[in-house]
Amino acid sequence: MDLRFFEIYRSADYLWLLFHGATLSAVLTIASGLLGFLLALGLSTARHARVPVLGHLAAAYTEIVRNTPLIVQLFFVAFGLPLLLGYQWPFWAHALLALTLNFSGYFSEILRAGYVGVDKGCIEAARALGVRPPVIFAKIVLPQAMANMFPSLSAQFIFLFLTTGVVSEIGVEDLTHAGVFIDSRSFRSFEVFITLTVIYIGLSLMFKAGLSLLQARLFRWQSVS
Amino acid sequence: MRDALIELLGKPEGIVLYQLLDATQFTIYLSLIAFGGGGLVGALIAFLRLLPNRWAGAGALSWIWFFQSTPLLMLLFLSGLGVPRLFGVDVNPWTAAVISLTIYASAYLADVWRGAVESIPAGQWEGARAVGLSFGQTLRLVIVPQAGRVALAPTVGFLVQIIKGTSLAYIIGFSDLMAIGKRWANAPVEGTEPFIIFPLMALIYFCLCFPLSLLARRLERRLGAVTQKGAATAAA
Repeated sequence: MDLRFFEIYRSADYLWLLFHGATLSAVLTIASGLLGFLLALGLSTARHARVPVLGHLAAAYTEIVRNTPLIVQLFFVAFGLPLLLGYQWPFWAHALLALTLNFSGYFSEILRAGYVGVDKGCIEAARALGVRPPVIFAKIVLPQAMANMFPSLSAQFIFLFLTTGVVSEIGVEDLTHAGVFIDSRSFRSFEVFITLTVIYIGLSLMFKAGLSLLQARLFRWQSVS
Repeated sequence: MRDALIELLGKPEGIVLYQLLDATQFTIYLSLIAFGGGGLVGALIAFLRLLPNRWAGAGALSWIWFFQSTPLLMLLFLSGLGVPRLFGVDVNPWTAAVISLTIYASAYLADVWRGAVESIPAGQWEGARAVGLSFGQTLRLVIVPQAGRVALAPTVGFLVQIIKGTSLAYIIGFSDLMAIGKRWANAPVEGTEPFIIFPLMALIYFCLCFPLSLLARRLERRLGAVTQKGAATAAA
């Protein structure tokens, strides 16, 4: 047993690869997190408002996403769909689409639980004042659900970030891809993957800190009872 | 079963479906072993967390924190490639996959169970100790039966995460549903195009996971109601 971390750290090429990969992983996660959240808003609203057909489709979609592995979804999006529909995208676009779809399923389930948890008294009061149902949803249910569910959404986001490494399997040059490449050159597998683990943990801590700040800013109105 | 499927579906499709279903058994075995192993290690970690010893508690918390923050893929690479190369030993994919998934599951299950035990009011501990039960007896007769109700739904729910997690084991050479399906999707055989194989695999995974998700939800609804009623009775 001999540990040779220096074989990775003294090579500027390897360090650049790691930096580049980490950046791509982070950007891809943030982008698909945001897009997935927007999609989840639509999905969960369709379910909550019991929109005919669309509500059921949203429910089925959510269950399919949550009960199948990300990697199968990714391979279908990257290899199946383009062949079926006849289009060609760069690797990262396939990854972005697959991750967005995946994120949206998990987020929509959390949001739906959030809507259900909003205090009924609030809604009844608004209804008694003659506020129309769409306005009740937008101004009363949604903000409270978001505030209550933000911690769950953050935790889910970070959990999903830790699964994004699979995009390396379709050739996206993310952090895991960089690690696998460096491993294939240096054969210092243990050192490489320990380094990667540390970077992943560092990034998830950064995400956690960023999301806490965001929460404090967005939901300042929410009094700490 | 192989011949029946071929007769029913024709030459490539029948064989493909048979091989996929045949490989699914390894997905199930790996999930069950990981769940069992993760449950044992997780119970130990949760127990250490509950001990009055400060070091044991800190160790348990670090284990939970560290392995919840580590991607499963990294655990697989470390146990399948990293550690074997570091020590110059051969580790077969079964061992590496079982070790990674066990560690992964243990961190989450320990956290769930720790949370469940901590949700039991302190009065239960104090009351049990006051009537003369030992620490072990209190845990076994008073705390675990109550905490078990709280923990059951998320534990079943986590089994779904484990099943989905096993789909990554093919990366270190484990031969399961994922590995066989990917091989067929790459094969230039008509009827095994990626847009047929991957939805088929998704369907098989779905059939494994969805019943468990439903069970978890039902347990949550039922046992949640029981604890609420219990709390209401206790309050009254």
